[in-house]
This record gives sequence, structure tokens and C-alpha cells, in this order.
Amino acid sequence: MIPLGHFVILSMFIFCIGVFGVLTQRNAIRFLISVELILNAANINLVAFNKYYGSPDGLGQIFALFVIAIAAAASVVGLVLVIAIYRLRKSVFIDDFNLLKW
Amino acid sequence: MSEFAFYFIASCLCITAVLSVTVKDVFHSSVWLALSLLFVACLYFYLDAGFLGVIQVLVYVGGIMTLFVFAIMLTSKIGDHSIRQVNHQFWGGLMVAIALFIVLVQVVGGNPLARLHAAGSSTDLKTLGTSLVTTYALPFEYISLLLLAALVGAIVLGKVKK
Repeated sequence: MIPLGHFVILSMFIFCIGVFGVLTQRNAIRFLISVELILNAANINLVAFNKYYGSPDGLGQIFALFVIAIAAAASVVGLVLVIAIYRLRKSVFIDDFNLLKW
Repeated sequence: MSEFAFYFIASCLCITAVLSVTVKDVFHSSVWLALSLLFVACLYFYLDAGFLGVIQVLVYVGGIMTLFVFAIMLTSKIGDHSIRQVNHQFWGGLMVAIALFIVLVQVVGGNPLARLHAAGSSTDLKTLGTSLVTTYALPFEYISLLLLAALVGAIVLGKVKK
């Protein structure tokens, strides 16, 4: 059997890729793609811990389900915001989203 | 055999995740993200969480990826490689991510939990469904409320104002 640490290290690697994407991407859609990677890293951890500890009511899997639902809601609102700003500024690059700066 | 399957899925997941943030084309990046989400679903099947794997494929690959593709089609020009996709803090971001990874691996490596081998009993679908509507009924209802709010918010924000 694989030790639990390997699952945790895998999920940390995916998390760090997501953090790298969030820090460096200019395109708002790729920014959201990186956020999805971060949420999936959290889900891998939750499911792995649920499997290795054997929670009687499946708490880890239930939380992973909630995370998936929240990620869906977040990405829907995020993508609609990107499209709404694109109508206004004709750009999807985060550098151009400076409407609230003065 | 089972170890080999895990390391194969894990390496495929790492490669597709790296590609989804590094390729130049936004559309290709979303396709790599879809592949990496499929590998995450494979990992769920490997961990005896079949229901979550099915949900992952349905919601992520079926729903969210379609949304991403629609958003890319509606906003940016496909195949335009001349625009820079990364900002000026590329190297700084890379160093922060690597440092974060090293620190996290140090923390996990020192923890005795990381060497846990014996897998507990897997949660079957019946237990999952029962606890979802008994113990965790309130958060379940909140999630449905949140999804409704996201739906209404998306319609309000996406509407073209006349």
C-alpha cells in the first residue's frame, strides 16, 4: 500500500502549481484554471485522509463533495465576471482590470 | 501492480497540471486542465471513492470545462500566440512556489502521519448518502442555496444591459 505521505506530497505539488499560476498568469481565465487546480489539490487530500483513517460517516468524501460544489459556483461567477469585464474593457488581461484604481 | 498504478496516475497528473499553467494557448491550457481533472477522478477511483470520481467527471469535465471553453470562445482570440500570457513576476512566482513546496514537504516528511500505511475501511455509497441527509443535512441545504445564488448572480451579471 502507498504511504499516506505520497498522496499529501502529490496534492502539495498540484497546490504549488496552482499558486504559481495564480501569481504569474495575466489572463483571467488561466487565473481561474489555476484556482481549480488548488481546489483539486485540497480534494485529493480530503479523499486520501478519508480512505486512510476510515471515517465512519465518510466525512472526508462529503467535504470533497462540498468543495466540488463550491468550486463550481465560484468558477461560474468568476467566468461571468470575466465576460462582463470583457464587454466593458475588451480585454481579459488582469493588468487592464484597473477600474477601481485612481 | 497497485503501486505502479498510483505512480503512473500521479506522474500523469503532475505533467498535465504543469502543462495547463505553462502552455501558451489558452484553449490548450483548458484542455490540459480537463485531462488533469480526469486523472484526479482516476485517483478517486483508486482511493475507493467511486461516487466522487463520477461526480468529478460529471461536474468538472462535463460542466465546468464546457463553461471554460465557452468563456475562452467568447473573450479571447484563439491561436493568438503573440500576446504574453505571464506577467512580469514570472521568476518571483516560480521561486515562491518552489520555496512553498520545499517547506511543505519538510513539514510532511517530519510528521509520523505521513508514514501511515494501513488503509481503513472504505466508505460505501450507502453510508455516504445516509450521512449526507442526516448528520450533514444543514450544510447540504446551504450548498443548494449557494448554487441557487451563484445561478441568479451569473444571470444578473451576464445580462446585457440595454
